[in-house]
Amino acid sequence: MVAGFLEPLLADGVARQGSQSGWLAQVRTRALEQLIRDGLPGPRNEAWKYTSLRAIGQRRYARSDPAAATRPIDANLLDLPGVEGPRLVFVNGGFRADLSIIADVPGMELRSLSDVLEAEPDSLREFLSRSFDNAEDAFARLNTVLASDGVVIRVAAGARIVPPVHLVIAGAVAEKELAWQLRCIFDIGEGAALRLVEHHVGENGHGHFGNVLSQLALRANARLDLLQVQNGAETASLTRRTEALLDAGAHLEMRSIEVGAQWMRHDLAVRLNGDRSRFVSRGVFALRGRQHADTRLDIRHSARDTACDIVWRGVADQRARGVFHGAITVESGADGSDAQLSNKNLLLSDQAEIDTQPVLEIHADEVKAAHGATVGQLDEGALFYLRSRGIGPAQARSLLTLAFCRVAFDSIENGVLREYLDALMLERLPQAADGDSQTKSSQ
Amino acid sequence: MNSPVMTSDHTLIEVDAREGAASAGNQRIVEAMNRRYDAGFVTDIETDSLAPGLDEGVVRWISRRKGEPEWMTEWRLAAYRHWLTMIPPEWAKLRIAPIDFQAISYFAAPKEGPKSLAEVDPKLLETYEKLGVPLHERARLAGVAVDAVFDSVSVGTTFRKELAAAGVIFCSMSEALREHPDLVRSYLGSVVPSSDNYFAALNSAVFSDGSFVFIPKGVRCPMELSTYFRINAINTGQFERTLIIAEEGASVSYLEGCTAPMRDENQLHAAVVELVALDDASIKYSTVQNWYPGDENGVGGIYNFVTKRGDCRGARSKISWTQVETGSAITWKYPSCVLRGDDSVGEFYSVALTHHHQQADTGTKMIHLGRNTKSKIIAKGISAGRGQNSYRGLVKIEKGAAGARNYTQCDSLLIGKQCGAHTFPYIEVKNPGAIVEHEATTSKISDDQMFYCRSRGIAEEDAVSLIVDGFCKQVFRELPMEFAVEAKKLLEVSLEGAVG
Repeated sequence: MVAGFLEPLLADGVARQGSQSGWLAQVRTRALEQLIRDGLPGPRNEAWKYTSLRAIGQRRYARSDPAAATRPIDANLLDLPGVEGPRLVFVNGGFRADLSIIADVPGMELRSLSDVLEAEPDSLREFLSRSFDNAEDAFARLNTVLASDGVVIRVAAGARIVPPVHLVIAGAVAEKELAWQLRCIFDIGEGAALRLVEHHVGENGHGHFGNVLSQLALRANARLDLLQVQNGAETASLTRRTEALLDAGAHLEMRSIEVGAQWMRHDLAVRLNGDRSRFVSRGVFALRGRQHADTRLDIRHSARDTACDIVWRGVADQRARGVFHGAITVESGADGSDAQLSNKNLLLSDQAEIDTQPVLEIHADEVKAAHGATVGQLDEGALFYLRSRGIGPAQARSLLTLAFCRVAFDSIENGVLREYLDALMLERLPQAADGDSQTKSSQ
Repeated sequence: MNSPVMTSDHTLIEVDAREGAASAGNQRIVEAMNRRYDAGFVTDIETDSLAPGLDEGVVRWISRRKGEPEWMTEWRLAAYRHWLTMIPPEWAKLRIAPIDFQAISYFAAPKEGPKSLAEVDPKLLETYEKLGVPLHERARLAGVAVDAVFDSVSVGTTFRKELAAAGVIFCSMSEALREHPDLVRSYLGSVVPSSDNYFAALNSAVFSDGSFVFIPKGVRCPMELSTYFRINAINTGQFERTLIIAEEGASVSYLEGCTAPMRDENQLHAAVVELVALDDASIKYSTVQNWYPGDENGVGGIYNFVTKRGDCRGARSKISWTQVETGSAITWKYPSCVLRGDDSVGEFYSVALTHHHQQADTGTKMIHLGRNTKSKIIAKGISAGRGQNSYRGLVKIEKGAAGARNYTQCDSLLIGKQCGAHTFPYIEVKNPGAIVEHEATTSKISDDQMFYCRSRGIAEEDAVSLIVDGFCKQVFRELPMEFAVEAKKLLEVSLEGAVG
């Protein structure tokens, strides 16, 4: 029987969600039953080996924010320099029309999930009938049971949307700690293109538990550029599951920056289902304090001549713990697959920990696959080079650490955005603070 | 494995003597061995056999039969009781048919072997031919034994004299328990505790025999030790237990196994190997494993579930594992190093080949505890046919392991459409002064390489073995020379029919 974390959330069964279609009710009831049966995964579950759910499992969150629609929030938090276009804002799991900017962009449909569910739930059947049969996917199940809102973006075949869509997922201080759920669906039509920014922000001082389930469908020859900036409140917990299905010739280009949240888990599952589909991922996590971030990639090559190219960097300082799992599976018959993964990490404190696990599972022989992982420190030679040019030790470290992290976003063409990300990263990097103080004191 | 005499608790010389005395009564032994027992166990002056099944009585019987001291019996019983509470591991990427532990006989007298080479499976003889196994050894390997062993017996005896002069103890575990009980007691289970894992616990309860090696302080073992020459170690059965201790400044190179295919009736091999290296000691442990892999359709074959662990207990100690795994239907083994002493070094070199329906889940664990500890892992996996080959490794840098260094390289080679090659490395780092590097690649033999060889008139199969040999070179050069040559041939034989 469920206890602790799940109990208050599941007390009233499935949450109301639009006009409950028969099939949808079935999927959600099934998820509820599975969740009650299996509860949260324990430490012996391989997918949760390095991330304990014990502390979370004992906390009790309120099921939703009754005041989400009017909850005040610092408007400055919602901005992202260089990103100007349609904006969708969710605060504590509720859609905020007052903060959103919904422009009419030809070829793109941009609506809230509750809206679509009310009017035409069957149009989302392909996405919402997804069930999660593994006990490790407890939070995806929870999302299935409880999420009553989210976002639906559909891009018509051939439409190439120029302005980036800015999706802001924000947490605001509330009377109680909340567990909020969001379900996001992105359907990029044949030959269409979209740029999307998934932006997590939060006011400090709340300890909400956010749970986002996103499904991306890239039809034949579609392209999606997805930038994820996770800068949630340092006291919050956040779990995300992003699933992408790529048809023939589709291209998903992802950049992920993880700096926020006290506790963070991101499951990224990519299915290269169509021939010649391609997935490129650049990511970084920079952690400090007692932050815990667990990134879990599961890339599956199921078709011929598919490619993935993954570069992730990690930095852990103070008492932080960074976990990276990068699994690539090449299925039988996926000949011509090319899979590359690199994960490098900097461990900056003797209280911090990095656990990395690059995995290759290869069932085809016409394959090129390689992965590499390292954990270490900054190159002494490079430090010496900078020192010899008169740069102070702390600043030199900071410079090199930033360069190390920049791999995640230095290919972004938008200069304003890139500079903002530089600043965000620099501010988060542990050495930066020392660097500044040293520079000041030496002046 | 067939052998004509019951050898598990007798030394080499005793075996020899006993054989002479008993040769006339061979018929009686055979009769006794063929006798059916309904339940429990039967003690016979000539031979002993246990009916299948496992309970505390069986554990006690084995211990008593081997004349072990009381503490040893208790140790076994504790292991057995703990084993009862455990469940078989399921995390490996292996498909294992359920094992009925009650259907196994835990102390079986050897079955009757063929009387002469003429009765040996011609396919087996053909393989010996290809491997270049000397004629007199072929018979012994095929289990014909009796006369053919004589050479090896005398070789073994000569070795023992020379080793004794150097102060090295090299004997069976049973003998060690009788002659050096205190030494055994202080080290047994200190690296692999009896409760370590499911198969290690089972082994601790029922192990029949194994090798014991003790190299005293400052001694460099005058020769490479090998079970190959020690007749009484050959039929130690499915539950072998090996313990090697190198005292301060001592060094030894130990080779286990045999390059020629062993026919074995046993389905399950659950061995435990423990190595202890004190200050400045070094142990090199090489394995060539070629147990029966099952036929082309995946029927039969050995389950090779082995726990091997070395403890670099002393400062500047070194333990090096080299393994060539070509046999067994299923291989589940992770020779590991606990790098406890400062500046200690752990190494793991492995070639694992799976063909037909073979499965291997193998790798290593390097646990860095001491300062400036270093480890190196070179793992080469070759998959052919429907073989499934996984590397699973853990590199763990604990808080105190400042300046620790690890380098890991795992390469997989795929031959054929239906095989699989997998890599599951775990890297856990808790010390900011450590440097850990892991890299892995998977590919098939490139068309360019093949074309290059073929255009120079090299036959397809030869070209494949040439390329495979190059692929494995980093590991082979760690093997003692003569075994490197045999290992190379072994891969050729094992890969037959993989191409085309």
